[in-house]
Amino acid sequence: MNDRIKDITYDSLYKTFEERIAQLKKLPKMREDDSIESTIEKHGFSRRDFMTWAGAMTAMLSLPATFTPLMAEAVKVADRLPIIWLHMAECTGCTESLLRSANPSIDSLIFDYISLEYQETIMTAVGWQAEQNLEHAMEKYKGRYILMVEGGIPVGDTENFLTIGGHGHSGKHTAELASENAAAIFAIGTCSAFGGVQAAAPNPSGAVGLSEVTDKTVINVPGCPPSEKNIVGTLMHYLLYGTLPALDVFNRPKWAYRLRIHDLCERRGRFDAGEFVEHFGDEGAKDGYCLYKVGCKGPYTFNNCGKQKFNQGTSWPVQTGFGCIGCSEPNFWDTMGTVNEPLRDRLYATTFSGLGADATADRIGVGLLTATAVGIAAHAAIAAVKNPKK
Amino acid sequence: MSKENNDSDHHGKIVEVEEVVEFTPAYRWQHWIRALTIVVLTITGFYIAYPFIEPSANVEPTNFLYADMRAIHIAFGFLMIAAVLIKTYLTLFGKAHTYKSELVSIKDLINPKIWIQQLGYYLFLSKHPHLHGIYNPLQFMAYMGMYVLFYLLTITGLVLHIHVYHEGLGGVLYGVGRWFETLMGGLANVREIHHISMWALLIIIVIHIYMAVFNAVFGKNGSMDAIFSGMKWNKNIKQ
Repeated sequence: MNDRIKDITYDSLYKTFEERIAQLKKLPKMREDDSIESTIEKHGFSRRDFMTWAGAMTAMLSLPATFTPLMAEAVKVADRLPIIWLHMAECTGCTESLLRSANPSIDSLIFDYISLEYQETIMTAVGWQAEQNLEHAMEKYKGRYILMVEGGIPVGDTENFLTIGGHGHSGKHTAELASENAAAIFAIGTCSAFGGVQAAAPNPSGAVGLSEVTDKTVINVPGCPPSEKNIVGTLMHYLLYGTLPALDVFNRPKWAYRLRIHDLCERRGRFDAGEFVEHFGDEGAKDGYCLYKVGCKGPYTFNNCGKQKFNQGTSWPVQTGFGCIGCSEPNFWDTMGTVNEPLRDRLYATTFSGLGADATADRIGVGLLTATAVGIAAHAAIAAVKNPKK
Repeated sequence: MSKENNDSDHHGKIVEVEEVVEFTPAYRWQHWIRALTIVVLTITGFYIAYPFIEPSANVEPTNFLYADMRAIHIAFGFLMIAAVLIKTYLTLFGKAHTYKSELVSIKDLINPKIWIQQLGYYLFLSKHPHLHGIYNPLQFMAYMGMYVLFYLLTITGLVLHIHVYHEGLGGVLYGVGRWFETLMGGLANVREIHHISMWALLIIIVIHIYMAVFNAVFGKNGSMDAIFSGMKWNKNIKQ
């Protein structure tokens, strides 16, 4: 793209965003007495901190720096978008990771503020009141709310393994109902995106990802948990564009999941050099060698952890010296093999009642090759005594 | 290209030995290129799966052992893909007798009698069947299996390739590659399928080498020689 075309494209995009924000501004606020701006301020963030955040978020969504003020504006109108957040079969880790930080980031404050309509973890309503709130929200904001779902959804014979509330509705029923009239649907975390840990073989609860129970487009934001930036970024993207982001083959937003952990890794040089940590705590580990041989699954995992990091950008697994476990990939629990062991040592559930319990592809291969060699030797021995018929 | 000899010491019968072209030069070249690439790809592949060699210590950041192994793996991988594609083309459209009789083997493949006779021959129970084509049914199935594995290795190899090299060929194949990635359920599975296919191929190759030796020893018609020289001797026993 040459610069002129780029400018024209960005100019029209800027106008589109401006119009979108103006439209959102006309919508009623969630709370008349408060605003995102004042919440952020109350928590000790200066205007400068906020603008820094807006600049970082703008860059993350691959927009030029001139869009920073728009981003700041967009955050202020984020409370016009009603959000319904459902919890399915999960550990609430995605919500907790956003909320339970010692020093809440701007991301978590925004999240906290806008998750007002219905969020099982942070709402005060309980019992029938909670049920009523959900029904009310789905009715009042029909076709307008953003649905965020956390957790896998049991289906089939085991659908009732997840039953919530006094009406005894199954998780699937609620998820289907909420998806029906949502303006946008985000599956937050690997469980709601792909089924997650409870969908690991043999998947006793029959858990599946949200996309399996609705015909509507589901934006997957996988991770265990996904970083706060990816959750809020997906929301900000929708807020600005009003459309769904460009998606990869597993319906993950490209701006966050386009590249592998491996591609963004600070230890990639060590990998190419063939310098590997042999076991945790060795000299290589102290020198920051590559973690491939101690089971890093970065080469098979698409995410931006190396760029965004966790805990207010402090660190991320590979930086701390612990390999990636591949948590943002479908069925990672089954496909990635054992944590801390390379994929070569992935175990296969074999029969022979546990005889093949430690069977890796290489072990099975060597076994079959040995059997072949034995067969060949036997055949050759017979052939030596008893010639084939002419 | 054929000459006839009369050989009379075959139990008093007249044996006519006919020298025939079994394998064309192109056939033999691609066979040995594939053999070479499989050896190199297996060794470098095992290293890529688990880097078992440590580079010598060096204070300068000029170590690229893993990258070098990968480069060799990729170079030989593309060589293998080329050989497989050429061979596929020759089998389907080749004009030489070799390729025509490869396809004629299908006639033997769908004949249950030949299956039984061939199995019987290997179990020392019956005579070698008279074949119309170049391969017996068991051989044909093994080679078909090999090609399924070659293409599986090619596809999975290319899917892994596009994630390291985003420009050029990697860029062109990116879309279709990622389609295969979803089909296989993620990159980790692609890696595993690549690895398992290699094992299956290794086992077929071991059997292939044994059977080639077996037939050379007992067939006594230069079938092993054919993959080097191209020529084979057919015996026609006359009364």
